[in-house]
Formats: sequence, C-alpha cells, structure tokens
Amino acid sequence: MSVASAVAEQVLNGLVVGMVYVLLAAGLSIIFGVMDVINFAHGELFALGAYFAFAIAGPLGGAGFWVALVVAPLLVGVVGMGIERLTVKRLYGRDPLYHILLTFGLVLIINDLITSVWGKSAQPFPIPAVLDQPVALFGFNYSLYNYGIIIFGSVLAIATWLLLNRTRFGMIIRAGSEDREMVRNLGINIDRYYTLTFGFGAALAGVAGIVLGAYQNVSPTMGSSVIIPAFVIVVLGGLGSFRGAVVGGLFVGLVQTFARTYAPFLEGLIVFLLMIVVLVVRPKGLFGTNIGAGEHHDGALLHGAGGGVLSSATRAKIGYAAVGVLVVVPFFAELTGVTYSVTLLEDILIWALFALSLDLVLGYAGLVSLGHTLFYGVGAYASVLTLLHFSPSVFVALLVAVVVCAAIAWSVGYLSIRVSGVFFAMITLAFAELFYNAVFKFDFTGGSDGLFGVDVFYGLAGIGIDPREFEIPLGIMTIDGGIVQYYFLLVVVVGSYLLARRLIRAPFGSVLQAIRESEERASFVGYDVTAYKRRAFVVSGGLAGLAGGLFAANNGYVAPSFLHWVNSGEVIVMTVLGGMGTLYGPMIGAGVFVAAEDILSSYIDQWQLVIGVLFVLFVIFVPRGLVSLPQTIAEQPLFDSVVRDRAKVNDPEVERHD
Amino acid sequence: MTDSILTTQNLTKEFGKLVAVDDVNLDIKRGEFRSLIGPNGAGKTTTFNLLTGALRPTRGTVTFNGEDVSSLPPHQRVRRGLGRSFQITNVFSGLTVRENVRLAAQAARHEGFTPVEEYLEQKDSFDDVNEHTDRVLERSGLLGRGEELADVLAYGDKRRLEIAIVLATDPEMVLLDEPTAGMSAEETRATMDLIDEVLSDRTLLLIEHDIDLVMRVSDRITVLHRGEILSEGSPEEVSEDPEVREAYFGGVEA
Repeated sequence: MSVASAVAEQVLNGLVVGMVYVLLAAGLSIIFGVMDVINFAHGELFALGAYFAFAIAGPLGGAGFWVALVVAPLLVGVVGMGIERLTVKRLYGRDPLYHILLTFGLVLIINDLITSVWGKSAQPFPIPAVLDQPVALFGFNYSLYNYGIIIFGSVLAIATWLLLNRTRFGMIIRAGSEDREMVRNLGINIDRYYTLTFGFGAALAGVAGIVLGAYQNVSPTMGSSVIIPAFVIVVLGGLGSFRGAVVGGLFVGLVQTFARTYAPFLEGLIVFLLMIVVLVVRPKGLFGTNIGAGEHHDGALLHGAGGGVLSSATRAKIGYAAVGVLVVVPFFAELTGVTYSVTLLEDILIWALFALSLDLVLGYAGLVSLGHTLFYGVGAYASVLTLLHFSPSVFVALLVAVVVCAAIAWSVGYLSIRVSGVFFAMITLAFAELFYNAVFKFDFTGGSDGLFGVDVFYGLAGIGIDPREFEIPLGIMTIDGGIVQYYFLLVVVVGSYLLARRLIRAPFGSVLQAIRESEERASFVGYDVTAYKRRAFVVSGGLAGLAGGLFAANNGYVAPSFLHWVNSGEVIVMTVLGGMGTLYGPMIGAGVFVAAEDILSSYIDQWQLVIGVLFVLFVIFVPRGLVSLPQTIAEQPLFDSVVRDRAKVNDPEVERHD
Repeated sequence: MTDSILTTQNLTKEFGKLVAVDDVNLDIKRGEFRSLIGPNGAGKTTTFNLLTGALRPTRGTVTFNGEDVSSLPPHQRVRRGLGRSFQITNVFSGLTVRENVRLAAQAARHEGFTPVEEYLEQKDSFDDVNEHTDRVLERSGLLGRGEELADVLAYGDKRRLEIAIVLATDPEMVLLDEPTAGMSAEETRATMDLIDEVLSDRTLLLIEHDIDLVMRVSDRITVLHRGEILSEGSPEEVSEDPEVREAYFGGVEA
C-alpha cells in the first residue's frame, strides 16, 4: 500500500470515528445549549441505543439491523424524554452543578440496568451482510459499512442542521437557548420543547451507539469510554454550538486516529492537551458564543445549613462523640474479631479527607472542580514513588504528596481559574484525564499495573515504628501495626479538619465566604478574587494529595484507577450528600456513601442501581445535604416561628461555615 | 489644577464600530460632588465601567491621585481609594450585617496581614479592623443590627448596609451608579440624605439620569451625549446651556 493510500485509509478511519462523535456531541451540545444541562448520562444513552438495537436485531435476523436502526433510537428518545420529565425538569433554574450530579446518578442507574439485563461482558453485534464487504475505491479496499457510516452520519448531521435552522421547532429551540424567558413571554410552552429536545438529543446518541456498536461490539463500558471525549468535543467546539460539535467531532476523530498510528505515545493525551490549549486561549471554544460561559447562573449553589433543631453546641458535642467512637473502635474490633470494621473506617476517613478538600473549593470558593481525583491520584503516585525510591518514611512520602499536588494545583489554577463556571469544570476534568492517560504510558508509574509492594515506616531517620514488627501485648489483646496505621490516619484526618477549620475562620476563609456570596462585590471591596480562589485551590489540591497518599501508603499500592473520573464524580456526590459549604458535612457524606456502598455491595448485585436512585432522589429533594436535615425539620410548620428565628439569627455565622 | 483627584485624558471605548465613549476628558476636584448625566445611550454606564476597571479603555487614560490606573483591575483601584456603590443592592446576603462591613474593613486594612495572621488567626481578633467596623456601623446607623443576616434586612436598611460597605473600604472618592434607580420619591430622598450624611466628606461622582435630583445635589455637572461631553459647569450654567436643552431636554422644557 502506498503512503498516500495509507494516509487516505487513516483519514477514512478518522472520519468513521469522527461521525460517531459528531452524532454524540451534537445531542450533548443541543441539550446543553437549550437547557444548560450537562448530561453525564449521555454516554449511557449511547450504550442503551446499541443494546436496544442488539436486542431487536438478534431475533429478526437479516433485516433486523435496519429495523433496529429506526426503532432503537426512537426507544432511546422515549427514555430520554422520560428522564427529562421525571428528573431533569425538576432542576431547571438550579446551578449546572446539580445537573452534573443528577446525571451522574443516572449513569449508575442505567449502567447497572444494562449489566443486569445483558451481562457484563462485551458481545459481538454483527453488521448486515450487505454492508459487510470491502469496496475498492481510491486504489484500496475499504469496508462498505465504514463508507456507510460516513455517508449516513453526514446525512443525519445535515438533517439535524436543517431541523435546527429551517423549521419552527429549531427556531424555537435556538431562540430558547438565547433567552428562555423571552420565548416564554411570547406564549410558547417551552417546557414541552425541552422534553422534545432532550428526547431528540438522546435519540441521536442512540444512533451513534448503534453505529459504533456494530463497528466494534456492544459492551457496558462503551458509554463511559465515549462520554469524556464527547465532552471534550463539545467544549472544543463551543458549548451549545452545533457547528462546533460537527467540526470538533470530526477533528477529534481524525486526531485520535492519526495519533494512534503515527504517534502512539500521544494517543489519549493529545485530545486533552488540545482541549486545554483551546480553553486557555479561547475560553469559549472554537465556535462558542456567550452561551453557558458561566457568566449567567440561573441559580446559586445550595449550601448546607446549620441551625435548625440542633444548636451549634449540640453539633460540637456530636463531633467530639464521633471522634471518641473512632478512637475506641479498634479495641472493640480486636475484642470481637470484627477487624473488617477498622478497614472500612480507614476507607471512610480517607474519603472524608478527600471530600473535605473538595469542599474548600466547591463549597467555599464556588469552583466546581470536576477533576479533583487528579490530586488524589497524583498524591498516591507521589507518595508511592517516594517510598520506593527515596525514603521508607510515611512522613516524607506524605509531605512529598502534599507539596507536589499543591504545586500542580497552583499551575492548573493559574491556567484555568480565570475561566468560570462550566468551563472550569471541563478544564479540570481535562487535566485529570490527561494525567490518567499519562500514567499508562510511563515505566516509572508502572503502566496499567500501577506500583505494588510498598512498605512504610512510621518514623524518620530510623527512629519510629515499623508496623510489620510492631506488637505490644495488652491484656487480652495485642496492639499491632494495623492499629498504629489506623491511629496515624485518624490523627492526620482530624488534624486536617482542624487546620481547615482554622483557615475558614481566619481572614482568608472570611474572604472565601464573601466570594461565595458575591464575587463582584468581593472584588469591589478590594479583594483579588482570582488570587483567593487560586490559593483555595492550592490548599485543596494539597489536602486531596494527602488523602491519596494516605490511601496508597495504607494499602501499599497505586494504580491508574486512582485517577479515573468516576472518583471525581463520587467525591462530589459525597460532598453534596453531606452538605457543601460546611466542613463536617462532606465528611459525614463520605461516611454514609462509603458505608452504604460497602454494605449494599455485599448483599445485592444491583447496589449501583440503589445508590443511583437514592442519589437522584437526594439531589432533587435534599440538595442542601444531610447536615441540613435539622434545619429542614425546623422549617416544618410543626415548629413555631421562635425556633425558626433562632435558627436564622443566632446560628449561621458560627455554624454554617465550619 | 493641582487639586484634581480623578482625571481622564481622551478616554475612548469602542465596541466594534460603535463608539460608546468618545474622547472624554474629565477633571474632578478633591471634595467635589460631580454628576454625570445624559440621555439613555449617552455612554454613562460605559464611562462608569471604565472608571471602576470593569472595562479597559480602547484609548486614553484614567488618572487617580496622580497615578495612571487605566490598566489596573477593579480590586486594585478600590485599594487605592476609588470605591463604588451598586445600582442594585449587592451585599453579602448570607452573612451578618457586621460581617459584611468587617470584610470591607479587613480589605482596607493598611498594613495588610502576615501569612500567619491571614491564614491562622481568628478573623475577629484584629482590634483595628473591629474598631473600624464599629465606627462604620455607627456612622451608617446600623450599630444595633450587627448580628442580623443581611438577607432579612428591610430594603432601606439594605441600602444603608450597601453604603456602609463602601464607607468601610475607606474611599477617597466614591462612584455612585444611579443609586436611586427604581425608587419612589420618598425612598430617593432618604437615599440621598443617607449619602449626604455618610459620604459628604468624600469626593463623589454620581451617574444619574434624574435631572431634578442632579440639579439639587451636585457642585458641578457633566453632560454626556452620544459618548461625548456636551457641556460642563455648575447646575445653573448647564441648565441654561442651549445645546443641553436641545439634546437633553429635547424641547420638553422649552
């Protein structure tokens, strides 16, 4: 094959993948443009399309594929409309963060449904015999199916463009994305159009899923593997821009394909590098308009509230009691032989610290970091590498983790804090994905296996405790290395909480709260808002790195999964579940989440589904988190107005912010 | 001309082909109450934004206290003594009245904070900031209301808090952007009295289109029309300027 035809084949391969991306990104972009909804479940709708088609085509045989190509997207469209009606609709007018959270819950639900119906393993989805043959064009053979994808995708893209630009439906949708109140005032029932738009976007994702499913195979992970590239495309092209989705989709398809062949090292990295560069240079994307640039927020973030039926003194007592319980648990565990509870508590403490770190930026500085696992993962890698190569001391390892993560947070913050809202979320996600993909590429990070077999020493310069040799018999029980590890962790986490509380009560923290209340006003009072946000991000990155370092040191390993975006999603879930904007709320959220996951997963297979449903209900009905329940209870008519007033006047300053 | 506090030289702002502010030269004296008026679209708000730093000029400079501040961001202009109030009451609504004022006083602390103070000391452990806060609360008539949430204040008290925050930043000059927009005659009078009571010893620049109001309170008036200065002088001089009558009063007065 000549060089020219080899390149031509790569171009065609790129266009095939690109077309799938175009269909996927177009739906995502339209949904965002019209409703301001960042739909994380879009990837699962894509997978659902593939599975519906798989289920329809199988029994029908020959013509089944064609039937499925029409019916399956319609079904996905109906599912999409149902999702909009039942869940998304309730959140219009809230900050986009809540859509991220809601659709994150939907990801868990849909994905669990797919695996419980169709199984966990990938399955072949044969393409129709008519298309399954090579065609000789431009001097080489190429699959007819692939040509088919390119043509079919183009036709569908043009049809979508015509729908948006040449029909009344499209006109209303575009007008609605410019100014939804105006459209309402014109007497148009825009809510109905929202439902249709969501369904239409979902159907497009369904088509993309079918096309790709038949190109490769169908698997439950196909949704999560395309959602991040799809976001990259939408952000690259400009949120809400159809033209941007088309150009971005084809571009990313081509770049990925060429990188795989000609620069394998860059595969998986280049797309995120591109996205970061584009966002830094042109924060609104290539074809972006003002839509969703984060300048207009319909609703503020909802913070956890103190007060209510619990006074701050009561809350403080509960806090002391909780620490007290954590102190004595190992003894009971040792006596009863239920050592498993200590392991679970260790996990909870680490996630509590991670959630606390996120809350410093999310709850206090109002920055939605969608890639916070970057710091958790890098902290873990940094501490393991330190333990392996430089020093066996856990103190040194954790110090390195904190310093490295704080430095990375400073750089990321320097590049991205000036872009606001949704774009900040996307750029942090891109950075996290960049590091996630990078650790696979290097030997020193252990590639896809990660790094194993690390031993830690609780001391410095040879003076301290080696947990493998440590044993003090104490009556009926023994204090061993595991217990040392647990108490060390407890001290570090409680210490971090106290440090964070100190920061929040200091002038620095008071400025963060001012920024949270009104960024504009804070700046016109004389504060450098960007600098304060960046400092909060650095502190947060350092603490997240500490959490990651602790986990790696405790468990003696690190793997690429530490950097996977699902962690970032989970830690946001915990923070909001507990109640952001309070320091203890996210820690409680982490405890409940980790414990629930642990308990549910040991009793039922569909635990993801249960967590997903609980979470969706939570986002809709208790957005201020668990810590706000006492306040919510106090606001019931049952309690007289005296209680309400006391809650409002006395508590907020002392209570609400730490 | 030694006693100018704020001057602009050839200040110009273009948005594409539209010239919103065209070659404006202002010279505001220390202690003066100046008003900037003009019909809708005259360039008042753009001028205001150029002075606060929300916008950067296409051409020309803004000089405050002898220093060229044209390229400084808003917070640095505030720190140099150029405060602003907001058209819509824009206070930290989830915080107490006292904390609102204390935050502004904290920002205005001359010596700043050492890292230990900034990150680890209790925010209300600084005597100078607390005293400054108390003084401002007293002067703006909010002394007894310190522990109330800004959220639950009545409209008039919010306005009071708004002015108190500006005062706490210790401004030498305050830019007021239509402080009485949307108010009844009664509220307007109360607000102007408050400004007079609290800010009378500062240099003031009022952006306004209520002519009667401007005539009553200003030392000098600058009339903007289509981005350019049409007239400037005392209220009497301006109201008698035939060009102003023509452009602004549009025959209604005639």
